[in-house]
Amino acid sequence: MSNSQTESSLPTLAHTLDQFEDCMDLSHREFPNLGVHAVYLNTLISGAKLQNEVFKPLHDLEPDQLTTLFQQSQFEKQTDDKALILGILSGKAAVFAEEQVYLIDVRGAEGRAITNSEIETTITGPHDALTEQVSLSLMLIRARIRSTHLKIVKLSVGEITKNDVYILYIKDIANMDNVQELKQRISDIEIDAVHDTNMLIQLIDDRPYALFPQILTTERPDAVVSKLVAGRVVGIMDGSPSAFSVPSTFYEFFSSSDDYYQRWMLGTATRMLRFFALIVTVSLTALYVSVTTFHYEMIPENLLMTLVESRSRVPFPPLYEALLMEMTIELLREAGARLPTKIGQTIGIVGGIVIGQAAVQAGFTSNILIIAVALSTIASFVIPNYTMSASIRLMRFGFILLAGLWGNLGIAIGITATTIHLCSLISMKASYVTPIAPNQPYEWRDVFIRAPFNLLKKRPTQSRPMNMTRVKPKR
Amino acid sequence: MSTLQSSEKLSPYHIVILVYMTQFGVIIFSLPQLLSKAFGTNGWVMNLIFAIIVIVNMLLIGAAYWMGKGKSIFVILERAMPRIMLYPLYLFLMFVWSVLGCLVAKEYVLIFQMIAFPTTHPMFFKIALDLLVFWLMIQGIYNISKSITMLFYLTIWMLPVVCFFYADFSWSRLTPFFFREGQPSPVEFVNIFASYLGYELILMVFPYTDKKSKLIKSSIIGSLLLAFIYTYLCIITFGFFSLRQLQRMAFPLLDLMAYIKFPFIERVENLFFGAFLFTTVATVVMYLWSAQETALQVFKRANVKLVAGVLVIFAYVIAFIPDTLSDVQHWLGLFAQLEIGIAFILPLLLVVVLAFTKNKKEAAS
Amino acid sequence: MKNAPIRLRRALICMLLLLFMPGCGDQRILEKLGFVQASSYDLGENGQLEVTITMPKADQNAGQRRDVLSLMARTGKEARVKLTRESNLQLVSGQLRNSLFGMSLARKGLLKHLDTFQRDPSISPRVKLSVVRGNAKSMLERNYPNQPIISRYIEGLLQKESMGQNIPVSTLYTFIRDYYDDGIDPVMPVLRNKSDNIIIDGIALFRGDKYIAEIPADDGMVFSFLRGSFKLGELSIHLSEGEPGGDTVMITSIVSKRKVRVSRSAEGAPEITIQVRLKGTVIEYTGGLSLDRPAEKHTLEKQIDKELVKEANEMIAFMQKHKTDAIGIGIAVRNHMSYGAWKQMKWPEMYPTVKVKCNFHFEIMNAGKVVE
Repeated sequence: MSNSQTESSLPTLAHTLDQFEDCMDLSHREFPNLGVHAVYLNTLISGAKLQNEVFKPLHDLEPDQLTTLFQQSQFEKQTDDKALILGILSGKAAVFAEEQVYLIDVRGAEGRAITNSEIETTITGPHDALTEQVSLSLMLIRARIRSTHLKIVKLSVGEITKNDVYILYIKDIANMDNVQELKQRISDIEIDAVHDTNMLIQLIDDRPYALFPQILTTERPDAVVSKLVAGRVVGIMDGSPSAFSVPSTFYEFFSSSDDYYQRWMLGTATRMLRFFALIVTVSLTALYVSVTTFHYEMIPENLLMTLVESRSRVPFPPLYEALLMEMTIELLREAGARLPTKIGQTIGIVGGIVIGQAAVQAGFTSNILIIAVALSTIASFVIPNYTMSASIRLMRFGFILLAGLWGNLGIAIGITATTIHLCSLISMKASYVTPIAPNQPYEWRDVFIRAPFNLLKKRPTQSRPMNMTRVKPKR
Repeated sequence: MSTLQSSEKLSPYHIVILVYMTQFGVIIFSLPQLLSKAFGTNGWVMNLIFAIIVIVNMLLIGAAYWMGKGKSIFVILERAMPRIMLYPLYLFLMFVWSVLGCLVAKEYVLIFQMIAFPTTHPMFFKIALDLLVFWLMIQGIYNISKSITMLFYLTIWMLPVVCFFYADFSWSRLTPFFFREGQPSPVEFVNIFASYLGYELILMVFPYTDKKSKLIKSSIIGSLLLAFIYTYLCIITFGFFSLRQLQRMAFPLLDLMAYIKFPFIERVENLFFGAFLFTTVATVVMYLWSAQETALQVFKRANVKLVAGVLVIFAYVIAFIPDTLSDVQHWLGLFAQLEIGIAFILPLLLVVVLAFTKNKKEAAS
Repeated sequence: MKNAPIRLRRALICMLLLLFMPGCGDQRILEKLGFVQASSYDLGENGQLEVTITMPKADQNAGQRRDVLSLMARTGKEARVKLTRESNLQLVSGQLRNSLFGMSLARKGLLKHLDTFQRDPSISPRVKLSVVRGNAKSMLERNYPNQPIISRYIEGLLQKESMGQNIPVSTLYTFIRDYYDDGIDPVMPVLRNKSDNIIIDGIALFRGDKYIAEIPADDGMVFSFLRGSFKLGELSIHLSEGEPGGDTVMITSIVSKRKVRVSRSAEGAPEITIQVRLKGTVIEYTGGLSLDRPAEKHTLEKQIDKELVKEANEMIAFMQKHKTDAIGIGIAVRNHMSYGAWKQMKWPEMYPTVKVKCNFHFEIMNAGKVVE
């Protein structure tokens, strides 16, 4: 953009109007008796606010009272041209009077209302989700943390779009190094536009080539709060309904707010179920391929004939058969995600039942494979975080290929490679696999199980909090 | 980004697992047979003797560690003598370590070939294994230890499965005799001790530790953990098979695992042997990483990735030569002898050098 | 290049590896395999081996649910190579469950034929071994109308019987283990055809790897008492006539504990006492004793003890006569003495002359729902 080259100077009305040339949504209103001009973008402001905050006071004003009016706090004086333009662009009205310029916030609060969380639903607990409008999102968080220690820092990204990014942390808990690092990384981003938090985190993570997301995103305000009080630093972007928290561990992606709202035993069981789901989703189809291609010895006698019979009419080797079915499931999933909800359901029925049934009857695949594929797909949806779940589904294809190539050895190679990859990852300079390596046995109780609250006395070490101890429950 | 990583020191817990995983290798599959062949009845007791030897050796290494105040062995050596004189030693270490690494990998691959892939060329598998090793070794010891810890958890769950054998285990099969019907020989002794090797590589981790790492203590705990698991597995094997049967089995542990049967899966050795890839990778990566550290002393300016790549390719080429399982085991025996020499002589040399330089310093002051 | 795209490179390598895929001659895809589920070995003419295998058929429409192939060969593996020519499937032995040996072959020794079983890594150590009275081939070839899959039939039969301790477990693992152990000899069940069924006819006793003698199946329980401790067994005893209370007792849920004690006689020869403690529930009793009176219950227990001791003594004498130590007395003797003494003793020669005493102590846990 060219205005980056223009020297910042004292703002003038002519210059501002010049900058906004051909912007049909720019309104310029003059108060000739006062010599005051108001300039604003009518697409961004709220008419009622403008009326109340600017027009009404100016309307009843005598020229000599002008100075007193502008001394009120809602008028902020601007001396910088660039800041002024930016202010107008973010929904403020610029008031030019007596060689001075003032900005007044008249932003319109129109946008989507607060709705239920769609991606991360829980059974119990709060149902509200962050919205695209950052002020609303911040409101949801601020309302939950009634503490002056909750700090909010504003940054902006995108050379053209200039999106606001807010960094939230709790003073005296969050490590300031993390805050500094995050600020640094966000301001180092050089890109035209950032459209979503999930895009933003890819621009600031430590290993851009990695398979797994290294920064957790969530759209639940209660989850944001729990991350904040654990000493993590949270970022929210204007225009995106999700927040991110750093640093994150691999295991965080497997926990859901629900774990904490259930009794601890239930929470523990659910959490273990998710890790079991991880194993199933990665290995079940691969194991099918490996066993039917190489390791027939492993099949118990009772299962043997069932398997052979279901395989006997299938024209492809198990590897291609499995890849075909996995592809079909992925197609169904993608189609379901892109279509409106109602048609999506139809797709589910047509795909899941009709294709599955017909494929088996036509001898296209074996029904045992259908079970394996369906199970591993369902298992992948148990993982609460969508990005992680998608990464793992992608990884599964690698496992199937390896299993088709080298059987169980291939699967072992896949597991080793995944482990090495996971351990090489870092999130905000902290190890991605934290409670395991570096070993923090205390934290296992909040990672692999969900211990009762009076046993969760320490904050996670990964975020290197300033204060390790949570408030001790009196029991 | 990596500055923070490399400045971090290894924690005691990770050293325990690092040492354990480096030592634990595929030889465990034939260990009960080797013990029964060499020492006969109740050969598993020898595990304790080996553990003691390891601890003595470890204390010797400890002496070098404490006297040198945790300085890298290269620093210690180079302070005492000119580097040119040390080059042959470095090259020798490099050679032995990389060859040992490749032999361990090759043995694993050959056993897997025997189980499931009789006609596939084993070197295909070794490509994959070496790629994993290369990928891990270039990441430095801190990440290696992290990965090895994860791999440790991926293997240790197999241990409870051993309970499966309690039904067919019989103490009376162990016999009350000690070390009868065996043919002990120094060569056999070395071959068996090879299954304990790997602990000496902590010589290379000196500079990555500090006081808090409790290097020697943690390493000894790691070795004891290994000795415990070896002993446990050997007792089970000795009580599960009869002595002369055991003496005839090439891989008793494989047969042991083949005996396991679950309602939904049988012959789990196919699966479990795959899981032993994790420990094999750990062993191989530690040997090659040590070779790489040594190589970096010789070629100071070289790129780490390049050195690692050359070493892995060298190990890969060497692995072509011994072709059959018995060849590999024979070679492994030979190199184990060299390695045992290194394990004792190198720390001894360090202690002597340290004592010498200390005296010199005192004389100078 | 600082942060090299490792994943990209890895993906490339994976693609490269996939190029090698056509070279996978080791693929054993399920439907292309013929699973040898049961095999039998008989002594053929001029020292040849007659090998028979059965494998299940996947096709449900075919009339027969299994294939039986048979031919003469020098060894079992040679037979497999030849048999493969007769089948459109690749024969594999990883699913082998049962192996049957003809009586005549068993008499000549089995170790030679078991070599491939031990050597081949695809064969499970859990393969069940049995001896067939007469020709093993004919047992496999026969059609059992109620049992389409013969290997599953035999497997089930052996499994059930060994669970009830009527016959000892005999797998490849136990046979080889006991063969190489110097204080015990291996055993196998003996199978026989009976009209359209297979029945267990007895327990074959081996000396080394050679079939020597046999214990009738009815005595299987007593044999189990002597061979080791176990839980869960069923025993029907016909008490000797002429004594008060005579008739038959049926005992279930037997928990048996065996102890072998070894002592030295004056001349230094070992004397063995086998002590068996039994606990069980009476579910049938046709005699006249009233089992809820402690004294009479005790009388019955004594009668049972006496009967068992008698049977056990006969059995041990029988085994000593045939010089086969199927219950592992040798292990107890060995574990009792020093290594030198054990080697000096030459147990196989000593065994027939050694004095063995049996003690049974039976305890009735309860006598069912009846009170008299």
